[in-house]
Formats: sequence, structure tokens, C-alpha cells
Amino acid sequence: MFGLNRLPPLVRTATMMLLLGGLVGYVGTAFTTTFVADSGILGNSGESNAAHKYMLALLQRQSESLSQLGPSGDVVSRALQQQNVSQQPQDVKPLTVTYLGGASSGRVSVQIYAVEIQASGGQYQFLPFSLTLIGGRVQRVE
Amino acid sequence: MSSARAAVILATFLGGLVLGVAAYAITDKGVDANPYASLPKVAEPAAAADVARALENDDPKALSDQLDMTVLQQLQTAIDPLLDIRSIKFVGAVEKNGRVLAAYVAGGRTSDGTDIVRGFVLRLTGDQIVGVN
Repeated sequence: MFGLNRLPPLVRTATMMLLLGGLVGYVGTAFTTTFVADSGILGNSGESNAAHKYMLALLQRQSESLSQLGPSGDVVSRALQQQNVSQQPQDVKPLTVTYLGGASSGRVSVQIYAVEIQASGGQYQFLPFSLTLIGGRVQRVE
Repeated sequence: MSSARAAVILATFLGGLVLGVAAYAITDKGVDANPYASLPKVAEPAAAADVARALENDDPKALSDQLDMTVLQQLQTAIDPLLDIRSIKFVGAVEKNGRVLAAYVAGGRTSDGTDIVRGFVLRLTGDQIVGVN
């Protein structure tokens, strides 16, 4: 296969071991980092990609993304969520989005953001958002 | 199999392992870039630290001295359903135009003994805590 038969046995075995080691290293690292991040084993406090994406979807009123990243509710709940998002004022402009930090306990993780918003008529708001994630999925937004 | 041959095979496997880990580290993008600007973090405000300490020490008197009834009710809602607070962690704070948001994560148990974490944010104007989210 791939002309490996033409190589000396030692080189062939070494090449196979190199490829096998690379595969084990890549997949193992991917699995371990994802598993550790989602399980909260190390009490990780780094920003979760799911929370980050959810915040951006929330601020940019991307109802489809919110449905995918948020709690897996029934079809009516998801339709209500989409309606809520679409009824929000369209001229709200996020000025800054700052990740304040987070903490985990088991599979539950809390990620907190501070957001500056310029609403219609120049109204300014400085708001916190606290996202609760379970198993890497946003379950609650306050 | 000679020991030299075994050593070569083992070394190539370990080399591949290291290359695999390095390849993942290079290709993993981590958290997507933030398209918005961020505010610089500030130190934990003293008034907020006092409230966090009172919560961690289960000290209702200190809390009632530091916060008015409205803010206490907001705090109660923010940490619900935590009943027994075991830990309070300050995670970060930002300031804008004299207003500070100081974020905390409280860990503890609910009335049915479940371990949970709850996040809450103290809102300060100057040195005064004016609200809780």
C-alpha cells in the first residue's frame, strides 16, 4: 500500500509507527481537551467557545444559531425564542463585549460577560450576562 | 527483534505522538475572535469584596450592614437556589464612566443537596453597590 512494500522493513515499520503516533497524538489531544473542557474536571475558567458563540448570536439576533447553541427545547419553545429574538429592536448596537470570567463544577459551567449597548435614541446600557452551560451547551441566560 | 530496532520503533512512535499533539495545537483555533472591542479589566472593588466575604463566611449581619433591602432581594434572586454557599470566586470586573460590574461565581448546595454553581454580578457606582444581576 502506498508503495510501502518497496521500503526496507525497518523504515516501513518506523513510518507506520510515526503515522500511528501522529494519529494517536492528534485524536487523543482533541478528545482530551474537549472532554476536560466539557466535564469541568479541572475547574477550567477559560472562555468556552459555546458561550462565546451564543453571546455573539444573541447580540447579532441570529435566532437560528441561538436555537442550535441553546437548550434543546420542544419545537414551540424554539419558535417562541425565534419570535422573541426577531421582535427585539433592530437598531441596538453592541459597543463592547468583555468576557469577565467563569468557573465550573462538574459538567456545569458559568461564564459571565459585560456588554455595552447603544440602543435607539442614543440610549446607553452597560449590562452583565451570566450564561450557565451544562455539558458545553448553554442552558440559562440571565 | 534487536533492542536497537525496538528503540527506533518506539522513538518514531513517540515522535509521531509529539507531532500529532503539536499539529492539534497549531490547527485548533480555540475561541473565535471577538468582533467587538473589549473593556480592560479592573481590580476587585473593596465594597464588592466585602460582600463576597460576608457570603462566604455565612455572615448575615455583615450583609445587612453593607446592602439595602432592594439590593439584598436582588442578591437573593441572583443566587437562588443556592442554600449553602461553600465558595465564592471573583472572576473579573470592568469599569465604564464610574460604573463597575464585578462578577462572581458562587458554589454550594441547594436544599436537596445538589452541588451547583451560580454566577452573579454586583453593580457599583463609585464605592456603592447599587444592584445585583
